[in-house]
Amino acid sequence: MLTEENVMNTLRSVIDPEIGLNIVDLGLVYDIIIEEAMITVTMTLTTPGCPMHSSITGWVENQVKSLEPGYEVFVNLVWEPAWTPEKMSDEAKQSLGQ
Amino acid sequence: MQPAQVAGKMSPSYKMVRKYFIASIFEFVLLTFMMFINADSIKGFHFQSKLLGLTHIATLGWITMIIFGAMFQLVPVVLQVKLFSEKLAEAQFWIFLFGLTGMVLFFFKFDTFFLAIFASLVSLAMLIFIFNITMSIIKVKEWNITGTYIAAALVYLFFTVVAGIMMAINLYHPYFKTNHLEYLKLHAHLAFIGWVSMVIMGVSYKLIPMFSLSHGFSLKPAKWTFGFINAGLILMTVEYHLPERTIMLPIATLLIAVGNIIFLYQVYLIMKSRVRKILDVGLTYTMVSFGMMFIATALGVFLVFENFLKPEYLSKLVLVYGYLILFGYFSLIIVGQMYKIVPFLVWFHKFSAKVGLEPVPMLKDMFNENYAKVEFVVMNLALTGTVAAIAFENRVAMYISTGLMFLSSLIFMKNMFSIFLTKGIKNAD
Repeated sequence: MLTEENVMNTLRSVIDPEIGLNIVDLGLVYDIIIEEAMITVTMTLTTPGCPMHSSITGWVENQVKSLEPGYEVFVNLVWEPAWTPEKMSDEAKQSLGQ
Repeated sequence: MQPAQVAGKMSPSYKMVRKYFIASIFEFVLLTFMMFINADSIKGFHFQSKLLGLTHIATLGWITMIIFGAMFQLVPVVLQVKLFSEKLAEAQFWIFLFGLTGMVLFFFKFDTFFLAIFASLVSLAMLIFIFNITMSIIKVKEWNITGTYIAAALVYLFFTVVAGIMMAINLYHPYFKTNHLEYLKLHAHLAFIGWVSMVIMGVSYKLIPMFSLSHGFSLKPAKWTFGFINAGLILMTVEYHLPERTIMLPIATLLIAVGNIIFLYQVYLIMKSRVRKILDVGLTYTMVSFGMMFIATALGVFLVFENFLKPEYLSKLVLVYGYLILFGYFSLIIVGQMYKIVPFLVWFHKFSAKVGLEPVPMLKDMFNENYAKVEFVVMNLALTGTVAAIAFENRVAMYISTGLMFLSSLIFMKNMFSIFLTKGIKNAD
């Protein structure tokens, strides 16, 4: 059975091509809800107006869809609460030189 | 409204932007090659045919060409408007390239009739650009500081063009009441500070935080910079229309210098709040470029007191000043930012539809970072060497330094073409 944890793990394959880190470690994924045949991923991006917007949300959609056929995927891109560096995992912080 | 969709829909055609970038990269290689074979001419008084020709390959072929391409790409994304007309951008490219080629050729031959003809074509291309971007940005709904700087830069580009075409006509058929060489100073400063530097600053407020992951900084200094530099440029424009120099010139120069220093403080604030502590190659170029801008600014203030300098020192300082602006400040930042913008542009075009379906490269894997680091060292050696060669009038040093700059441009071209020709990566399974 598909769990939020499965979805979160597959999202570790979605990598910000500029930073080179996955969106989970970057702290961009806020919430995952699985309801019947619908998976909603609530997430943000590091910068509003980032030109990588459509690529990353498209990547999330494709990645989650590939996990379990038959589910609809909705990527809910939010700017509140805004992303802050504190949301990153320790590994991500370390690899950015913090 | 999802900004993601807007950014995608607003982007202009990849091929159009690529055309400007590739032409500009070739112009950079041509420029550094021409400087190498004309190394003996890089000395003495700046108003000489070869130096004017070389300067216009740099300012128009290399710098302005790449700004055109970058503006067509960035204005729609940063200001969330569609480019008014891609057809005009296409037409502008060919008129500009043709006009520029003739203009440089007739600068070298110093045929003032044909120079004026080809300069008119270049001006036409510039006017098309100004019209196209103006028609695009009047539809902007959410204005920001980057947009304000770009709008001002368009105004200065217009006045640079007006001053340029007036001088081209004056060379063929003298009619100026003021001194041609004094007016040249206005033309150059409108171009350098009003057009190129204004674009660099405006775009920096958006791109540097994006690339360095900076958060929570104030953009107040950017507003002060805008005020100081514009006040300085307006004063300078009035001053150079007067028959003699007045106290307005040192005041204008000081205002611009203060504006530049506040800009550097703004960059410091952005960099201080960055999350990515390790500077990548693109940002390293950018930071050194700002250091060069500081040196050029100090030199610019010093040159206001030209009457106190011996003519032979003055001509050397003027050459160093122009060289530091064109190669130290402008070229370093352009090369650095191209290492950030071009991989994104190509990646977005080639791989954004494939994400999650097949492996895609990371941006930094699209070029050889070690080559870019070698290029950085070679370029800085060339910069230092050329300044020393001008100062000490050393012919051998000038050939070595311009040769090194040519080498750096070849490395840059190699890396840029690696990015443009990036293919997908094979599945590791």
